Amino acid sequence: MKLLFLELRLFFAGQATWVVLLVFAGSLIYGSGNGRRAGEARRASAETIEQQNRDWMKQVSDALEVQAIAPRQIASRPTTALLPPAPVPALAVGQSDLLPAHEMISLFRLEKPSEGKAELENPARLMAGRFDLAFVLVWLFPLFLLAAAYDLCAGDREAGTLRMILAQGTRPWLWMGRRALARGAPVLVLAVGATLAAGTMDAAEGTGMRVVLAATVVFAYGLFWLAIAALINAFARSAAAAATAAGTAWVVFVLVLPTLLNVVVESLHPTPSRAELVAESRAAAGAAEQRGNELLSSFYRDHPELAPPGMQVDMVSRVLAVQEEVGRAMDPVRQRFANAFLEQQRMVDIWRYASPAIVMHEALADLAGTGYWRHRTFQDQIATFKNELHGYYSPKFHKRLPLTKADLADFPAFEFVEEDSARWTRRVTTGMAGILVLAALVGVAAALRLRPSRLAA
Amino acid sequence: MMFTIARKEFVEALRDGRFRVGGVLVLVLLVVAGLLARQQVDRARVERDAATSLERENWLEQGDKNSHSAGHYGVNVFKPTSPLAFFDRGIEPFVGTAVFLEAHRQNQSAFLPAQDATSMRRFGELSAALALQMLVPLLIVLLAFGALAGERESGTLRQVLSLGVQPRTLVFGKTLGLALGVATLLAPAAAAFAFLLVSSAPGETSGMWMRAAGLILVYGLYLAVLLVVSVTVSAVARNARTALTVLLAFWAFNCILAPRLASDLVHRFLPTPKLADFDAAMQKDLQEGLDGHGARSVQLDNFVARTLNEHGVSRVEELPFNFQGHVMLESERMAGEVFDHHFGKLWDRIEAQDRAVGWAGIVAPMLALRSASTAFAGTDFGHHRHFARAAEDHRREFVRLLNEDLKFNARPGDHGYTAGRELWEKLPVFALTPVTVGTAWGRAGSSALVLGVWLLAGLGFLALSAEGIRVGDA
Repeated sequence: MKLLFLELRLFFAGQATWVVLLVFAGSLIYGSGNGRRAGEARRASAETIEQQNRDWMKQVSDALEVQAIAPRQIASRPTTALLPPAPVPALAVGQSDLLPAHEMISLFRLEKPSEGKAELENPARLMAGRFDLAFVLVWLFPLFLLAAAYDLCAGDREAGTLRMILAQGTRPWLWMGRRALARGAPVLVLAVGATLAAGTMDAAEGTGMRVVLAATVVFAYGLFWLAIAALINAFARSAAAAATAAGTAWVVFVLVLPTLLNVVVESLHPTPSRAELVAESRAAAGAAEQRGNELLSSFYRDHPELAPPGMQVDMVSRVLAVQEEVGRAMDPVRQRFANAFLEQQRMVDIWRYASPAIVMHEALADLAGTGYWRHRTFQDQIATFKNELHGYYSPKFHKRLPLTKADLADFPAFEFVEEDSARWTRRVTTGMAGILVLAALVGVAAALRLRPSRLAA
Repeated sequence: MMFTIARKEFVEALRDGRFRVGGVLVLVLLVVAGLLARQQVDRARVERDAATSLERENWLEQGDKNSHSAGHYGVNVFKPTSPLAFFDRGIEPFVGTAVFLEAHRQNQSAFLPAQDATSMRRFGELSAALALQMLVPLLIVLLAFGALAGERESGTLRQVLSLGVQPRTLVFGKTLGLALGVATLLAPAAAAFAFLLVSSAPGETSGMWMRAAGLILVYGLYLAVLLVVSVTVSAVARNARTALTVLLAFWAFNCILAPRLASDLVHRFLPTPKLADFDAAMQKDLQEGLDGHGARSVQLDNFVARTLNEHGVSRVEELPFNFQGHVMLESERMAGEVFDHHFGKLWDRIEAQDRAVGWAGIVAPMLALRSASTAFAGTDFGHHRHFARAAEDHRREFVRLLNEDLKFNARPGDHGYTAGRELWEKLPVFALTPVTVGTAWGRAGSSALVLGVWLLAGLGFLALSAEGIRVGDA
């Protein structure tokens, strides 16, 4: 313990140490603040939408108090499906600046392309990415950690003092581990502390588990990079060589492997053309439109219970029948699209262990509630809601039934149900286990190399 | 003497194991990235062509209907891909690839490729541009950090200077030698890209070569800046370790920190409007009219009175054309003014943000390079705005054609009027006139200037650093 404190004192005696720690602390504060501001903006926009929905429901309720209403008067107004603000927004902006958090769903446009709009954003800013806490933790944290710990023993070896140290009879791996801890601990403490602080700032209720997991993942990620520093020092003959190797390791794990994985995933499972999907959808709509009356007659043959009195065909019933036909025609195309995308994400889930930076990135977005899977859940629930909306209004239109006050309780309204916590917990914990296994493997490789005879050579 | 030193440095660079291994890896990444990106760009082009012809077929086969209904049926136009996008895709994944053109509304481009990708894309895209912007500079740092600091540390600098070699000759000779080493590494990549360019865009290469020349210029300037900065730091640092630490910190700031920090700070000082505010302001102006124009209803009342007066009649039914079509033409013109005002302001703001980030290249040269690179590659916001503007012009022409048909061919009060394929065929296929090379050079000019200033300042500091080298200090 005494030696650990000595190492700490030596570490803090350097001016460069304070510069590194101050810059890192500044980055953490700036990143957390940015994530927090993005979360506040999202919350404000969600509140506006919720208020609009409440106002509309009140108007409908007031109108129904007076008299029954034709369903068209209500169904023609789009319903807004809202993805509620992320549970821990300050952790990571994730995909929330790119993917729309609400979607207008209109009964008469169920088969049209999505009308969800993301916030107005400069595309160059989307390309650069946000300076949020996740950026600081995934990209900068390892850099600062390596800056603090890249020279664990390489400098001593270069100066010839390593032989003297080893002559004291100390076990090399223990000595190096102590030094790594002393140099890495201040950076680690800052990173974990900032994660806990950001996690509790403006977080929704019941998010304690997310915050604790986030701090644990950050800690595991830090251990991995300290293990890398140890491995590099077990081999490097000079401090400059250690710095070169540390820089290269950072580039490989944080820059090259994730971008390479992206390219490989997109090449092996290319997403079908969105442009063609749109054009095909319109072709199907055009064909169905031209067979409109025929489709409606066939629909009434299949569903005589929904046939209106006297089998009169009206515009809305025709639109709904056409829409159903378009949905049937487009289902396989949409399925192909969804499957290709799911394959891409599955491949990322499998290969994320190639780089702890990927695991960390995915885990923080997952825990913040701004990642792919929460949005996917939102999209799946929208698809279900569209069916619900159609199922509710379709019989009323076909049978010319007016809406009454009694119907109010059954009005379809979109309400997002959060993804089962067991699912995201499993994704995050398996990712974290992966980082720890990698850290252990690297650490063991370093320890094996750290024999006195090899180290002093 | 300078060339002798340069030759020695060049030979040493080629013999340096780190440079050889790192260089080959970067070269492989460069070429693989280029080939994969080329494959993606080619696929995007084929898909766009297929969607365009299917969409044209949809339009022509829509059947007989009222011409205004055809305006609501609308048409999709798809964004062409720049032939140089295989080198630098720029903002392309983050802007829409299609615009839906319909009556009454100017829609924004939709279907962002990044929305259909995994979150891995947020790590950046492995492209030749990325390799040249981030990996080659790192290689330069690793190659040059010991150029003078290493010699000083090992004592050979004192020996060289004691032979009467002028410090300035030594410093510039080393810089030249290292530059030759980097150029040797990049020459095969340049040849591969020239081949990809020729084979990817036959018939389109006239402007492309000028753009490619611009890319060579700005990347040459950028890499030269990085080399000069690295040698300068090596010349003033006490030892190789300090030189390496300072240079790695500069690299991390320039390549990792600066792009996000700059776009973040610029957004704070020049914010983009919120979507809800933007939509609300546009809806308000559509109803109430732009400042000084009067409310929409008043403008339309005045328009009716003016039309009746011009034709010397007292009732719209007496006009020699379909009044509904006539009003729709005027209504579209009025809406067009509102769209131009709001979208113009939004796009101006985005361009102002991009310009500010480009000028921030004074602090981090990569920002200037990115700005110039995307301008030359045809993948910056200016090029996207050109497409969006052309799509909107096409929309107005398309809606005008349909409303004029209604005005002149439908009898007043005839609600059953329909048009057919003959009219649909009159709508021309959307064709985007490419942005001229001069415009691309104009947009990239300020960023190239920033890089030029960096290089001149760097060379000045390099010369100054040489002045500081003395036999005694060494």
